[in-house]
Amino acid sequence: MIDRGDLLAALDRAAARKVTIISAPAGSGKTSLIRAWAGRPGHSHQLAVVPVQRGQQDAQLFWLALLDAVRQATGAVRGAGPAAATPDFNARAMVDRVLSELADARRDLTLVIDDLHELTSLAALAQLTRLLTNLPPGVHAILATRHDLRLRLQQLRLAGELSEIRAPDLRFSERETRELLDASGIALSEAGTARLHQRTEGWAAGLRLAAISLAGHPDPERFVAEFSGSDRTVAEYLLAEMLDRQRGDVQRLLLRTCLLDRVNGELGDLLTGRPGSERILLELEDANAFVVSLDPERTSFRYHHLFADLLRLELRRRMPQQVPELHRRAASWFIQRGQVVDAIRHTQAAGDWPDAARLLADHSFSLTLDGQTQTIQALVRAFPPGADHPELALVRAMGDLGQGHLNEAAAHLAVAETYAGTAASDRRRRLRVAIASLKLSLARRRGHLAGVVEQVKFLDSPLTTQSDEDIALGSDLRAVALLNLGTVEAWSQALPDAERHLREGAVLAREIGRPYLEVGCLAQLGFASKIRPFATVQRRCLEAIALADRHGWAAEPVIAPALIALTGALVWTGDFDEAERWLQRTEQALQTDTGPDIRLIMHLAGGILHAGRGRNQQALEEFSAAEYLRSQLEGSHSLASEVTGWLLATQARLGMTGEARDLLAALDDERAGSGEIRNACAVICLAEGDPAGALRAAQDVLDGAVPVIGYVTVVEAQLLAGLAHRELGDQRAARQAAERALALAEPDRLVLPFAMTGSRGLLEDLPRHETAHGALLTDILDIMRGSSAAVGDRSPAPPAEELSPGELRVLRYLPTNLSRVEIASELSVSRNTVSTHIRNIYAKLGVSDRSSAVRRARGLRLLSAGRMK
Amino acid sequence: MKPGHLTGLDHGGMDPGPALYTIRIDGHLGATMLSAFPALVPRRRGRHTLLTGLLDRSALYGVLGEIEALGLNLLEVRRHAPHRESPRPGDSRSP
Repeated sequence: MIDRGDLLAALDRAAARKVTIISAPAGSGKTSLIRAWAGRPGHSHQLAVVPVQRGQQDAQLFWLALLDAVRQATGAVRGAGPAAATPDFNARAMVDRVLSELADARRDLTLVIDDLHELTSLAALAQLTRLLTNLPPGVHAILATRHDLRLRLQQLRLAGELSEIRAPDLRFSERETRELLDASGIALSEAGTARLHQRTEGWAAGLRLAAISLAGHPDPERFVAEFSGSDRTVAEYLLAEMLDRQRGDVQRLLLRTCLLDRVNGELGDLLTGRPGSERILLELEDANAFVVSLDPERTSFRYHHLFADLLRLELRRRMPQQVPELHRRAASWFIQRGQVVDAIRHTQAAGDWPDAARLLADHSFSLTLDGQTQTIQALVRAFPPGADHPELALVRAMGDLGQGHLNEAAAHLAVAETYAGTAASDRRRRLRVAIASLKLSLARRRGHLAGVVEQVKFLDSPLTTQSDEDIALGSDLRAVALLNLGTVEAWSQALPDAERHLREGAVLAREIGRPYLEVGCLAQLGFASKIRPFATVQRRCLEAIALADRHGWAAEPVIAPALIALTGALVWTGDFDEAERWLQRTEQALQTDTGPDIRLIMHLAGGILHAGRGRNQQALEEFSAAEYLRSQLEGSHSLASEVTGWLLATQARLGMTGEARDLLAALDDERAGSGEIRNACAVICLAEGDPAGALRAAQDVLDGAVPVIGYVTVVEAQLLAGLAHRELGDQRAARQAAERALALAEPDRLVLPFAMTGSRGLLEDLPRHETAHGALLTDILDIMRGSSAAVGDRSPAPPAEELSPGELRVLRYLPTNLSRVEIASELSVSRNTVSTHIRNIYAKLGVSDRSSAVRRARGLRLLSAGRMK
Repeated sequence: MKPGHLTGLDHGGMDPGPALYTIRIDGHLGATMLSAFPALVPRRRGRHTLLTGLLDRSALYGVLGEIEALGLNLLEVRRHAPHRESPRPGDSRSP
């Protein structure tokens, strides 16, 4: 390689702008230029290089490669190694990730994307435009391509931040031609050099091919003369010359391995049927003969694309009947190493369509879990139309499900099922298990529990497997099936089963190394935990979210159930501001909409948040949206009565009692008989000025005569009964009801039912000395008065030293007007202990009186922190 | 129901159907290079090679892509009259 100083200087100048595009035909020397530029000593840039794979149709793979390259360059390889692909890919979020990694780069960084013309995904190009127009300061990009791309970079152009290097810039000058010949030890006259330069027009690939042939040639002048005299295209002439000049074993290797994307010694030996391929590859690279190693150890190589394309034509011309056999041998090698996609490609290239279909059907499951959905679809499209393979029906069903085309998926599954019945016995079981698992997914997305339960028998019977492949596939299928089963159980009434299956799924997923499934199971587990104490719910959700974070999936739909469950738990315990933050995160994660089921619970969470804050109009909108979505889903939905109940109650509170009555009348008996709906009736009665009717409705719940989703409904019923008693003038009964509500709410420190039922007056009527739950009472009233909301605006500095658990317990009583003696009695400690705690609290918070301590504690959110423990 | 397939032709949009194209390339193409263009008939014209054949839009862009991939020098793409079905008896000759 010679030093093309002028050209390097030109690239230097170009690279000072944000984006440089090197656009020139095949063989112009783009990659060589970039290599030479990057390899100069004293180069202070960090370099992230992304070579785009041939025919790259999978946007996700491209972006993952780019993200990896950036991470390697910045040295930010955190924790889990290379980023993992996901079945549902969010391109926007990925670009955001890349941008944030780039922003973290401590030194200047140059992003190099080579062979960008190979990226055929339009979506990827669109996102790439966004990346390039938003590069942080200190980050530059160099793109190399064979033709101009559909990147909308006018912004950069207008700002003077775009530069181009094109074919004429890359051409070798006559002087550089001379230098190349000298560097290769070729003695050629000036006239000969001029003729060579003219004939090749300074085309880099041509000159390199010529140099290889000229090196050690007995008569260089004659070679050039004949070359000039020929009208044959440069590439073809020089390739033929170069090839002829090689030893027999080299020719054999080049021709027989050119149909691979990547070559190594083993594969070379396999395809040539001779040993010694590795040595030849190393020799070729050393001779600068269009062979390039891909790793520092020089075990894996690739041929220059143009070179490989020409060799392939030559191979087909010389030995056409060998080609399918070569592909088959390559395919078997790849299969042994589990490189399934390459194996399928070569099987297709050999024209063995039924085998390719079988391979694809067998592996599409685990490929999907590996996030290679677009690759799979590209492989499916490569099958010739007309020759239809029933095996492909399974793969197509998978693709349909991923995109939410549920009816098409069902149709394809039917075809697959018919075929499975006729398959050979060893494959029949595997196919049936795969089909069962897809049916499970389908039923889950439709919310159809009964449909799901049918498929379970395949799960419970152990797989009698033979190969390791079978076992792996079986485990994958089992984990996915557990996830789907647990999810649909959580959405129906079977919560204990849901927890069991989801936990099993998470453990299995971890064993088999499927982090995406593990996160999925844990996220759904967080959601399924709703019968547990809220502290447990929060803990499980945060666990799932932390795991998702570690893998970079914090903004992916897979974690949404946990985000929503966490939001819900925070709303129930009155932590509205924090809940709002999590709700916003959920909205971001669900931008690639995953269906009515998830959006329903998001609206529900939004609804209760608004209701808790007393914003009934917004709450109504959310509950109405949730109700609409609920009606779209099949099967009885565990949240159905909550959704409908709150919708009715909110309508009533806004004075829309007529609409509420109509909706109520339209419910079937089963639904109308649930505790949540009875409570809603009570609310309607109260709004209509019929406290006696309200009391009757609430009493049904309190008597345990109707089913309820959980104890929160009973709390609500107590409060509604209390409000009714109040209207009827029975103060004592009202106070008793309020006290019972507080007692039920104490363990979880529930706030929401009090806020939603508007029980402020009821609580304020409760004399402090008559309640055993003074701290909770005060908390709830503060939240309802909105005092904690106002406090959130200031952000005071945290205390120098954290408060101990004992101090936190006392702290919670400070907002009440209980004396120290009374507090001591509440906590069953001595008065002196309480005084000591209070002294420490004042000291740590930097205050000298009780009310300041309370204010400070609120500002630091210490009072609510106590609730989460 | 046949699962959704897209066959080679795009049935949407204004596909005018196959037409006769002549593509001019710098230099003579030998047997190896020509094997990349099985649907086209080669002729030599001076120092150039002319490749002629019936191509619909997809096939045309495929050929252009191949020319780019092989590093050939494209000089001209010329389209002749659009192809029609062989005339049925009684049809007047089209110009």
